[in-house]
Amino acid sequence: MNKKVVVFFLVLFVSVSLVLVGCKKEKAAKVVVEEWEVPFLNSLTGAIASIGEYLQWGAERAAYEINQAGGIAGKPVKVIGVDTALEPQKGVVEMGKIVEWALVALGPVPEPVIMAAAPIAVENEMMTMTATTSLEYAEQFFPWSISWFPKTADRLPPLSRAWAEMHPDMKSVIQFVGIYGPWPGMAASHVVGIEEVGVKYLGDVEVPQDAVTFGPLVVKALDQKPDGVIISCWPDKAAKIVQELKSRGWTEMEKVLLFSSADDAALYTTGGADLNGAVIYNYINVDQDTPRWNAFKEAYQKDHNGLQPPSLSTNYYDAVYMIKRAIEETGVTGDPKKLAEERELVAEAMLNMKNFEGLLFKWDMSSGVPTNKPGYLFQIQDGRKKLVKEIRP
Amino acid sequence: MSLAMYYFLTISAVYILMSWALYLPYRLAHLHFLTVANMLISGYLAGYLVQSHGFPFALALVAGFTAGGLVGYIVSLFIDDAPTFTVVIVGFTFIYISRTAVENIKAVGATMGMFGLPMVAGTPNAHRLTILILVYALVVVVGFLIYRFEHSRVGRAASVMFVDKDLATSMGVDIKKLGRLVQTFSSLIAGGCGVIYGFIYRSYHLDFFTFHLVGIFMTVIFVGGYTTMWGSLLAAPALYGLSLILPPAVASWRIVIYGAILIAVLVLKPEGFITRRLAYTLETTLSRWRKR
Amino acid sequence: MQVFIAQVINGLSLGSIYVLLATGFNLLLLVAMIIHFAYPQVVVFSMYIAWVVLRYTGNSIVLAVLAAILSSVLLNVISAPLFQKIMKNREEVDINTTMVMSLGIGMIITDILSHGFNKGLPIAFPPKLVGETPILRVGLISLMGGQVASLAVGVIAVSGIFLLLYKTRPGRAFRAIAEDPNGARLVGIPLLRTGLESYALSGILGGLIAVLLAMLLGYSSPGLGEQVAHKVLAVSIIAGLGNLAGGLVVGLALGIMEALVQGYISGSWSNAIAFVVMLLVILFRPRGLFGIKL
Repeated sequence: MNKKVVVFFLVLFVSVSLVLVGCKKEKAAKVVVEEWEVPFLNSLTGAIASIGEYLQWGAERAAYEINQAGGIAGKPVKVIGVDTALEPQKGVVEMGKIVEWALVALGPVPEPVIMAAAPIAVENEMMTMTATTSLEYAEQFFPWSISWFPKTADRLPPLSRAWAEMHPDMKSVIQFVGIYGPWPGMAASHVVGIEEVGVKYLGDVEVPQDAVTFGPLVVKALDQKPDGVIISCWPDKAAKIVQELKSRGWTEMEKVLLFSSADDAALYTTGGADLNGAVIYNYINVDQDTPRWNAFKEAYQKDHNGLQPPSLSTNYYDAVYMIKRAIEETGVTGDPKKLAEERELVAEAMLNMKNFEGLLFKWDMSSGVPTNKPGYLFQIQDGRKKLVKEIRP
Repeated sequence: MSLAMYYFLTISAVYILMSWALYLPYRLAHLHFLTVANMLISGYLAGYLVQSHGFPFALALVAGFTAGGLVGYIVSLFIDDAPTFTVVIVGFTFIYISRTAVENIKAVGATMGMFGLPMVAGTPNAHRLTILILVYALVVVVGFLIYRFEHSRVGRAASVMFVDKDLATSMGVDIKKLGRLVQTFSSLIAGGCGVIYGFIYRSYHLDFFTFHLVGIFMTVIFVGGYTTMWGSLLAAPALYGLSLILPPAVASWRIVIYGAILIAVLVLKPEGFITRRLAYTLETTLSRWRKR
Repeated sequence: MQVFIAQVINGLSLGSIYVLLATGFNLLLLVAMIIHFAYPQVVVFSMYIAWVVLRYTGNSIVLAVLAAILSSVLLNVISAPLFQKIMKNREEVDINTTMVMSLGIGMIITDILSHGFNKGLPIAFPPKLVGETPILRVGLISLMGGQVASLAVGVIAVSGIFLLLYKTRPGRAFRAIAEDPNGARLVGIPLLRTGLESYALSGILGGLIAVLLAMLLGYSSPGLGEQVAHKVLAVSIIAGLGNLAGGLVVGLALGIMEALVQGYISGSWSNAIAFVVMLLVILFRPRGLFGIKL
């Protein structure tokens, strides 16, 4: 009888303990929101609407996948597109509204709107994930922003150097530079890389923003008899420059390097088969064969008439997953009364997130700057990019 | 006051001031697009003085006004009585020149822009309050000056010039002097607006000052009414606010809506919503009501 | 020397864009007293229509040309009465209101193109329209078929329109309606029919220009019209409003100047320098280099 009583109380004790522990866990993880709403300040209309569209698509794709798998901490996530139309005067008003309720925001896009609206996020200590701009812009708003790219001066020289190393007979290079935002800085970093392997830099050929014909610029460039050409300007203009080069006898397409910001649908729709053989660098390898990437690619092509996903389409996809991980790791609840505190938790979680599983590769964040992200050199063939080389820092 | 409301109010005020800056020379049938270049030049100048040389905001603002007025005055020496086309070309030229100059000057951030301008007062709320008070004080002052101008002999002379330049000349109106006056004043206002505009965002970027702004301010003037100053006062916040409150599906077509509103107003109400007659009627009604 | 010649040819190619657009612009001015600041956007719209037709008809150039012309005529016929309603004084050019009206039209066209065609991406024309290989290539000098065609047609268009407007009866009727509708009516010119014919003429020219630009540039984008609109206006003003021959000379000269500045000085300063030169010209010759011909 005593033995039975002891066993009974033991079982009771264990059961009660388990229940109490379970309750405690549940109390700690109790999410108060019915849905995680993540605003995305994006240029859905205006001059870069086509870019805004696929950025939005990437973010919404991530939300779809997350919801299919059970959501964030059991609750669905919704990405709310907030159109800034490339207008800073709209961006500030929208950010002004967002900081009143949002835990974290995506965007803004692009740089003029970042400059106007991100200070508002900083002032209200809300993380705003500027995942498509260079570190030189994003770091102005640390720690309430994170960068998707390392410092330009660290990131780009290895890529241009690798390209130059592919062509030991290339002794001199000229560069077409679009006078916009961070591009002159990126162009300068390309030069560092090629000069490291002894290639002579012949200079910049500036491409005006409203150029419609490119003969004068290409003649100016070819007059200096370069062995290689780097093109760092708008995608459609880059394509036209390539066509102009070819019409003036340029045949060694592998000695034409296009920079990552030119890697956009406009490049391929404008350039077509004329781009065949040209080299382009970017940060995702579209030929990777993983189930997750294949699913993403298939869904993108289905919605975009067979076009390959541009590099930037994965950025906000990954950003949404990063938000998911940050929320789940920190156990934030979405309680409006704890907004300030939870914003800080989420931001801190992201700034130094280790082993983040992006769509195509893993990387670590260190104080808001990614480390160990690869870069790739591709060769363009019939509108598709074929991997030539992977460059790891 | 919510942040969204703050930005709406301050940017609306800038729109009002810039529309008035365009409205004044338009009384002489001049489309004075130089004002957008004035915004850019004075804005970047003020930002540079504050950030690189530690100037206090007030001094930088004065510098911005002065630069705007100076540029406007010097240019007006050449185009004070020029045909409309010439004034348009001058405006375009200066916009191109000033943008290209800024693109190539590293000291003002070149194509990257200028970040993190200091607050004009100690805390973010004090900064915002200061900017808000300042910009609306300017609206009141500039509005008062334009009102007095319009009701003065000089202002009436300007109205005659709009209708018939030859008649104005034959009645002794000094067209050159008048042209210089309004263009200088208009550029002065624009210079100050450029400084304030950047300090609202606490940054400057070339894409803050584009030809697109010309379209916005012209729409405000013509939809609001180009024969009185009151049209811009109402149209600026209305048109800016419209873009903010439209539902997303409709908002994506907002430029088409603006264009359609502009065309509809030009065709159906060529003088704009607030016409001279309406303004006069309201004024007399108000003064009768005051007398009672 | 080879480089200089190549740049001059580049300049003529660029200039022919300005000539074509300025000719259409001046034609509208001469037959309807309209300053259509957004005329380049109308032409770009016609380019897009041509592109759509090319896509769906297996690159039928004839159908594309017809579609471009038809769309341009339609846009003209729809917008011209709007212009005329707002013009205070039919006998004079009212730059202010017509410029603002055309700004509105330009805004609408650009936004429709950004939304409704090819997801806002630039469009490319088929290589056989553009010309796959240069017809002449000597070192850096390269001449494509589209360049030759657009320059030749530009010169022919200017000459043809000049002859039509100044040497033929229908042309004189167009100008009469533009300059003095009441007087035109009094002498028996049927206003409605002649007015429609004049708009159709400028529409036909607009459609042809669209096809020529497609051949010359090989691509188009929603913002293309805005990018050239300032310069087209400037060319017309510098030459003298309504001056067809002047528009030809100034358009080509501007193209050459831009090409030389881009080639020998700097790409980023080319617009600023071009406009400064134009500004200096207009300050000393407010009626344009060759005089107003309205």
